[in-house]
Amino acid sequence: MEIFFVSLLGWAGVFLPTALGAIGSILGCARAGMAASGALLDVDGGYGRLVGVSALPSSQTIYGIVVTMQMNGQFSDATAAGLFSIGLLVGLALLFSAMYQGSCCASAINTTKSKPEVFGLAIAPAAIVEGFAVFAFIFALIVSGGIPGSAG
Amino acid sequence: MRASTNFYHLVASLPYMPRTFEVERLPISRIQLQQRLKLLSDPDRRVVDQIQEFLLWDRQRPERTDEEVEREYDRLVNSIKNPLVRDMINHRMDVRTINCALRRRRLGLEPPSGVGQYVEHIRKNWRHPDFRLAREHPWIPRLHETLEAKQALDVERQLLAVTWNRWVKLAEEFYFSFETVLLYLARWEIVDRWTRLNRSAGEEKFDHLLMEVLDGHASIDR
Repeated sequence: MEIFFVSLLGWAGVFLPTALGAIGSILGCARAGMAASGALLDVDGGYGRLVGVSALPSSQTIYGIVVTMQMNGQFSDATAAGLFSIGLLVGLALLFSAMYQGSCCASAINTTKSKPEVFGLAIAPAAIVEGFAVFAFIFALIVSGGIPGSAG
Repeated sequence: MRASTNFYHLVASLPYMPRTFEVERLPISRIQLQQRLKLLSDPDRRVVDQIQEFLLWDRQRPERTDEEVEREYDRLVNSIKNPLVRDMINHRMDVRTINCALRRRRLGLEPPSGVGQYVEHIRKNWRHPDFRLAREHPWIPRLHETLEAKQALDVERQLLAVTWNRWVKLAEEFYFSFETVLLYLARWEIVDRWTRLNRSAGEEKFDHLLMEVLDGHASIDR
């Protein structure tokens, strides 16, 4: 029973980065996308740029997939607890970064529609949030490779 | 019927509200604004109707008695649950009460009966130049001077500015929420009022009020 439970947590840990990253991307892209479609009612051009910005929070899902692929090759009873911890924490980081990046994108869209010349500056906060997601992603790869008992 | 409002969509669809209300054109026409407000859910729409009703009620008909106005105010305030809407209405009433008191004192009349938190305070401090309210409302001394100078347009500008500044400050705290929409509407109403202030409209309104007063006297004479 204990081994089953440990295995369950381990496999959950492997898939959590993808699942939580995807949930974050869904929420973030939806927020930004809703703002983009609202802004389309008020602008006469530059539609592609507005809709393009709303896709920024999708990168967290890609990071999650990469972490999941890396951790998938490390799974064993010895590494299960470590994989769960890392998977959960990096998943949460990706989830929240995608959600709030979506809010940043929505604000950028709202600003850009009335002041297109500040487009680059307006998406800077979204890029900064992305930076934190990248930190979490890279260190998840490094730390998961160093779990005692793992193949890496 | 909408289950919930998509505020990201609605707020982003509203044009940029200028930093000052002293502009020549509205950022969005009344018809377009009403169309956008159809994106609100039914409960949110009811609150927006309440605030719009107040903003229209704010331009009350002159034939209403003070008692009628007080009853209407009480009914409105008691029916409102949203704290921001209550705050907005109370602020507007306070500004109106203070403005009314300054005008009545200048004409040598008694303190206003009115509604709101300052009625009793003003009555107690009737002889004080700013009713001892200058700390909470630093605009009172300047408004008092402008009223004394009989600068009607400046008085209107100052009164609108007091309310406008309050809404702008509050709007900084909200992004994509119901409060953002309410504060947008409140500011839109001020811009609408300002853009409709012009000489010919003023003369027309004055003539209309004069005719009403004269009609009233004519009926008393009869």
